[in-house]
Amino acid sequence: MNAVGFAWRSLVRQPARAALGVLGVAAVGALLFDMLMLSNGLVLSMRDLLDRYGWDIRVAGGDLPLQGPRIRNASKTADTIASLPSVRAALLLRIADARIDRPSGPPLTTQLVGVEVRSAPGRATRTSPPWTIVKGRDVNNAGEVVINTPLSSASHVAPGSTLTLRALCVAEREALPPTTLRVTGVAEFPFSGVDEYVVGGTLATLKTACGGNVEDEVDLLLVTSNGDADGAAAAIRAAGLGVNAMTNDEVVGRFQQAGFSYFRQISSVLTAVTVSFAVLLITVLLTVSVNQRLGEIAALRALGFSRSRVVKDVLSESVLIVGTGGLLSLPLGWLLAAGLDDILKAMPGVPAELHFFVLEREALAIHVSLLVLTALLAAAYPMRIVSRLPIAATLRDEVIG
Amino acid sequence: MRVGALVVLLLSLPAVASPQTVRPKPDPTHPDIIVSRQLAESEHLAVGSIVRLATDPAGTTSREFRIAGVYEPTPNPSRLGAVPREVRMHLPDLLNLIRPPSQVPGTEYVSTINIALVDPNDAAAFSRDVNARMPGVVARSSSEAAGSAGPFRVLERFHLAIASVTIVAATVFLLALTIMLVEERRETVGVLRLIGLPIRRILLQILLEGLLVALAGALFGLALASGSERLINAFFQWKYDTALIFVRITRDVALTCTAIAVPLGAAATVVASWALLRRSGLRLVRR
Repeated sequence: MNAVGFAWRSLVRQPARAALGVLGVAAVGALLFDMLMLSNGLVLSMRDLLDRYGWDIRVAGGDLPLQGPRIRNASKTADTIASLPSVRAALLLRIADARIDRPSGPPLTTQLVGVEVRSAPGRATRTSPPWTIVKGRDVNNAGEVVINTPLSSASHVAPGSTLTLRALCVAEREALPPTTLRVTGVAEFPFSGVDEYVVGGTLATLKTACGGNVEDEVDLLLVTSNGDADGAAAAIRAAGLGVNAMTNDEVVGRFQQAGFSYFRQISSVLTAVTVSFAVLLITVLLTVSVNQRLGEIAALRALGFSRSRVVKDVLSESVLIVGTGGLLSLPLGWLLAAGLDDILKAMPGVPAELHFFVLEREALAIHVSLLVLTALLAAAYPMRIVSRLPIAATLRDEVIG
Repeated sequence: MRVGALVVLLLSLPAVASPQTVRPKPDPTHPDIIVSRQLAESEHLAVGSIVRLATDPAGTTSREFRIAGVYEPTPNPSRLGAVPREVRMHLPDLLNLIRPPSQVPGTEYVSTINIALVDPNDAAAFSRDVNARMPGVVARSSSEAAGSAGPFRVLERFHLAIASVTIVAATVFLLALTIMLVEERRETVGVLRLIGLPIRRILLQILLEGLLVALAGALFGLALASGSERLINAFFQWKYDTALIFVRITRDVALTCTAIAVPLGAAATVVASWALLRRSGLRLVRR
């Protein structure tokens, strides 16, 4: 019988102990797996959201998109950017708050997003607005809007019906007259929060809703390059427009420095703690187990089992416990990650489609490597005990004792 | 009732142009400002320096100010990771700096007025009074305004969830360990049964032992946590250049940990022993 088979029989002989060891590794492994998915999850998820509609450059008035002053002279700025040879199209994006009065209950506070595409004459403009239609159709004209699913449910408005809202474009305490808009579809807005209500339309629609009470300013310009995003961003910066142009890579990098690093740090700390915890506990389990079987091991040695063979048995036991627990940790970790993701997504302002835990090949590889390391480290001390076991003295002690 | 308006506003420098240091010539006409430590360090500013601030990158309407002091910003968890490059100045100086040429002085607005009441317990009544008397103004007590602490409540729930998983894993391991330790004492327990000690008496002894071991473990855990508290805080404070405290072992935290760990440890010992104690004394001593 080989070492693995022998170790398997040792474990099966004490099923309660083996099952608890495996379950413990599974629970710790699940936490470890989650921390590895968390360490890079936000970055990957944000990257996916930014890349989703083909806009590869963000142009903002401040350091980060939507976190600084608005872009002034927006039309001229957008036209200048769209006319650059490395740019295919530019999309002006303006956001205003709005309230939707309901027959019963408090008014719904929503975001009103207005967009407009600019491109140089003769250039292809197959660009998508920053939303995905899930029902109905997209907006074609001023006065038409799409709404997100939570708003459709809360206001009981479906494609084909109308929506009356009061926009708040300059100050929170504005009293603009209500505007009635035609809803053409229901859309997913990638950056809207779980319980946020969003209305999307053309920039002209937003200006109408604002009663003409907005200057030529936008919150953000989305730009599609002709393939060289870095070159296009550099060209925009060189145009001297007083704006900050960032490729999606740069935006992710800035977010990583600003807000995402907390989760990376916390995942590193918890990964280290979890691995140490697992090593310590499995070492104790195996050591106690080996100490209880010293007589048995000495007898096996007396029967002709070599030193390396009994060492391999202990190592195989460790590998079997950690391996089985590690396999169980993957589905457990996946379920746990879904629960933890839901908890974290309750943070205000976190887009519904942003995920904190994202599975990637690298995380899985690190998980497997750390478990292998854990099995080896945990088995090191008990292997040392059995390798130095004096056969005769142990047998005498065990028999007389 | 004493009402005082806060006459110092925060100015985030990205909204204002980066300060330009000019010659340090004392001039009583230069208004005083104070700058955050982080800004002073990054721009090599010192007390007494004269700096020029403007509201646009081109510096078209810049004004000169004298740095009267350097301050450590109040730690703000919601701005973790953002280096607080801030300037504080008197409100009239700020309004003079940001007022467009077309705007008549005195017609500016402020976003917030902080009010200190003689009796802080009157905050709710005072807010109601202001809201009733002044349409267009929203008054809220500080605790109500702190609703923005939402992210930290979410993080608290996240950490609690992780702590729960850790407790489950620790409990499973604890059970496995106690089963093995109890198995090691099989013969001793058998002898105690054979000399006439009732099961309840042995169980009580095991429970007491379990309690002592669990208490010692909990105390060791608390000592370890206290030691690592300083290390973790030092690391994150260095990482984010902030005076925020990330980990704090409070009395309540220590009591909660002890209240979970000690009964859990004792219970694991008793549960693991129960199956052993149900066997006869002879079987336990293998006779």
